[in-house]
Amino acid sequence: MSTQVVDHSALKANQTGIVATILVAFVGSLFSTFFLALIPLLAIVLLLGTFVPRLALFKQVYFLVLKPRGIVKPQPVQDRPEPHNFAQGLGGVFLGIASLLLVSVPIAGLALGLLVAVLAFVNLAFGYCLGCQIFFQLERRGLLRA
Amino acid sequence: MSAQLWALAVAGAVVLAAACLEIYRARRAKRLSAGATGSAAADPYILYFTGDSCTVCRTHQEPALARLDGIRIDRVDAVAERALADRFHVYTLPTTVVMAADGHALHVNYGYAPAPKLARQLAEARSTQLTTATA
Repeated sequence: MSTQVVDHSALKANQTGIVATILVAFVGSLFSTFFLALIPLLAIVLLLGTFVPRLALFKQVYFLVLKPRGIVKPQPVQDRPEPHNFAQGLGGVFLGIASLLLVSVPIAGLALGLLVAVLAFVNLAFGYCLGCQIFFQLERRGLLRA
Repeated sequence: MSAQLWALAVAGAVVLAAACLEIYRARRAKRLSAGATGSAAADPYILYFTGDSCTVCRTHQEPALARLDGIRIDRVDAVAERALADRFHVYTLPTTVVMAADGHALHVNYGYAPAPKLARQLAEARSTQLTTATA
């Protein structure tokens, strides 16, 4: 398995986008249920970005706006993109489940959304990526191949 | 209580439970790998379990290991060398094992271990080696 250069600033922009969107949805839901629509929208954005990287909204914002204008400096690291994509996809799946739960059990849906935000924040602030650890475990058991 | 407060409480409880589970898992893995052995060497050394999927290894652990001058570091791919990883109950990356000169695991660190912590553990391993040699 070979590594390539991964811009960690793009990953951080993605994590920031996830945390910010969920927080806006959560706080906004105190005033209007309309804001909860952000959760399924975010799920779609994350899943699309996982399978079609050029449709990864937050990463594109970074590559097309933040990086060219020098707002965020690039942080190239020799790395594998697969675990990060897997983690993003996992976040998308959990937000998809949260979206379904919002219809029937809103508390569980909101809680699951908050957990995704917490995990994205932990990755952003401390560099601990739970999705990447799950990827490692699955790869170690031969259940995943790059 | 509103749905938002309940959701916060549920999410907080899950995070707390996950933290407790992680502490339990790390302690259990440390206990199980306490008697594990590797190859003997002239001086204490470090077994460093890593993998291609580990970002923290590259961004944090490897710079920390580079700060330990003159220490033998055996790099192990935890995916490729599964048997060795299982012997030390490696469930997360990075994992660093401070090995005594006689090949016994003295300290197992699951997750990122900063350089001062590793240096302290190596110093302990050296003093254990001296005590054994003089006894």
